[in-house]
Amino acid sequence: MRGILLNRYTVVFGAMAVSVIAWNLYVATHSAGRIAGRVVGPDGRAVAGATVTLREKTLTTLEPRAAAQTDDAGGFVFAGQRAHHFVLEAAKDGVGKSERAAYRLAFRGQSLSISEPLRLQP
Amino acid sequence: MRRTPTWPIHLVLLVVSAAMVTPLYWVLKTSITGDNIFAYPPALFPRHVHLYYYVDVWYYIPFVRFLVNSTLVSLIVVVGNVVFNAMAGYALTLAFRGKRAVVLLLLSCMMIPFQATIIPAYLITKELRLLNTHLGLALPLCSTIVCIFVFKAAFDAVPRSLIDAARIDGLGDLRILARIMLPLSTAAVATNVILAFIWSWNNFLWPLIVVRNQEMQTLPLALSTFLSYLENTTGALYAFCIMVLIPGVLVFALAQKQFVEGLTSGATKG
Amino acid sequence: MNVARRWRRQGVIWLLLAPSLAIFFLYRIVPLGWNAVLSVQKWSPLRPAEFAGLYHYEEMLLHDDVFWTSLGNTLVYMASAPIGIALALALALLVNAGLRGRTVYRAIIFVSYPLMTVAVGIIWRWLYDEKLGLINYVLIRLGLVERGIAFLDSFTWAMPAVIVAAIWQIVGFFMIIVLAGLQSIPPNLYEAAAIDGADRGQRFARITVPLLRPSLFLCLVLGIINSFTSFDLIYVMTRGGPNYATELLITYIYRAAFVLSQLDYAAALTVVLFVLLLAVTWAANRATGGEAGAVEAAE
Repeated sequence: MRGILLNRYTVVFGAMAVSVIAWNLYVATHSAGRIAGRVVGPDGRAVAGATVTLREKTLTTLEPRAAAQTDDAGGFVFAGQRAHHFVLEAAKDGVGKSERAAYRLAFRGQSLSISEPLRLQP
Repeated sequence: MRRTPTWPIHLVLLVVSAAMVTPLYWVLKTSITGDNIFAYPPALFPRHVHLYYYVDVWYYIPFVRFLVNSTLVSLIVVVGNVVFNAMAGYALTLAFRGKRAVVLLLLSCMMIPFQATIIPAYLITKELRLLNTHLGLALPLCSTIVCIFVFKAAFDAVPRSLIDAARIDGLGDLRILARIMLPLSTAAVATNVILAFIWSWNNFLWPLIVVRNQEMQTLPLALSTFLSYLENTTGALYAFCIMVLIPGVLVFALAQKQFVEGLTSGATKG
Repeated sequence: MNVARRWRRQGVIWLLLAPSLAIFFLYRIVPLGWNAVLSVQKWSPLRPAEFAGLYHYEEMLLHDDVFWTSLGNTLVYMASAPIGIALALALALLVNAGLRGRTVYRAIIFVSYPLMTVAVGIIWRWLYDEKLGLINYVLIRLGLVERGIAFLDSFTWAMPAVIVAAIWQIVGFFMIIVLAGLQSIPPNLYEAAAIDGADRGQRFARITVPLLRPSLFLCLVLGIINSFTSFDLIYVMTRGGPNYATELLITYIYRAAFVLSQLDYAAALTVVLFVLLLAVTWAANRATGGEAGAVEAAE
């Protein structure tokens, strides 16, 4: 029995199988797809009512996927997001637009709290 | 006898080893780099490292589907090879009428490379309605002459006394093969498995001919299609490359001895 | 053994041989004949076959420039095999010198062989890239060229570039074969020669080389077969371009059959390929003294 367990094939492929299963379990249990962040104005203060668009980056194009409005504290949330490589852009009439910020995730449905706020420029 | 210094030999071998490894390192580096891979001059070491290209490969193309295809085909080929070659190898250790003709036939079949048969093989596969199926992909590879002789050599090495004792006990040929020959020839089985796996896993021309839609592609074919659609525009190509190379390198690392033995069995046989 | 038993025994034996023989019959022997038949017909999946005699051969030999180009390229590719063998011989001698870490060196040099050729092609495409490739970068830094060379797009450099990649992949395999041959030479031969006063060079020339002939010959035959069957690398790296500069006979066959849908013409090309392969192998056999080891056309 010991011989089979310590056989290098069993060890290698067993370790691979275990890590694949463990990873899939982790992904399955953490796939809320919640993207949260903040929008600030050119002066650094939170901007409410700005529109944040999320576009998924495929290998060749950018596909619009969702839009959200910021609340009074300038925060926005996307829930149930399924893109693993996407671009966020915030805009508010009269205040300005932000640069496109690209984000990459390790798996689809990963939740992300964006620390750096999206800064609107006129 | 004067001892020649070994450091020049080490030096040359180190340079050669570097030359052999550099292409692999270069592609590996490109696949994990977070820098812009289209910036000139190319950096020798990546400043930022990320695995996001691998995530891209996983999601942008049906990688799992291709992996399953390749695995299924290789599984059929490996099982077919072990079973059919062992049977044929065992038959060749016995004496029977027409044996010399069969051996001659097999040896001359070895001179027919697969590439010289692709057109009729395609037509035959089409007639058998096996185009675009896993079985159709696997069938031409399910027996190889080299591996038959590997088994034959291993079976020849089994002591006659064992076989005679088994026959006296009334065991038929199939039982002798299964109960006595195979367990004593694990090295030959291992060689068969590894050679069959590597040949079927890396096979490109046959899937190129037989596969007719995107979902049935095996990994080499998928890699080539990825290249023709996207050329050099993304680092994901190199991540795909590395992902595809890993099983081959893994098998090589684990089973180098059997691999080498199998390949040189042609060299030492002549 | 009585007669019934013997018949059953024969039956069992043929049963054991049946699956393998069926596969070889179906996928090696029948195709050989079918190719020959196809090559003298005018046939397409839509029209019934009509006998055409040497029509395709005539077209191939007299009117088809691409055929002659691809044939020439195949011969060039074949001529590069001795380079790989010489390198492998040198490496085998070095690795066999009994120093520490030889298994590591052997493994590193051999690792290129079991890799997927499609992936190898992609790796070398990236290395040869005109602007971003490592090779051009090194050449520019060394001052050998001013701008990067578009290796895979140039008439003069495409074939050598592919050949370098092919040698990279196969040198480890050749080295393993030569190593096996080296290790089968009994050491007491060297000792006896040394006692008789032979120096290193003489020992090498009189003992090593002759006893290595089977291994070297095997490498040569494998190299020849490789040049007739090496499809993956060309397809991925250059597709036979630019302008057929790297079109080999096998890639032309594939294109004629499955891109241009001229299965009958491609069959004729295949017949030529096979006959040439046999002829060259036979000639190599005779030229090196008839040491025909059993050879695998395995790939």
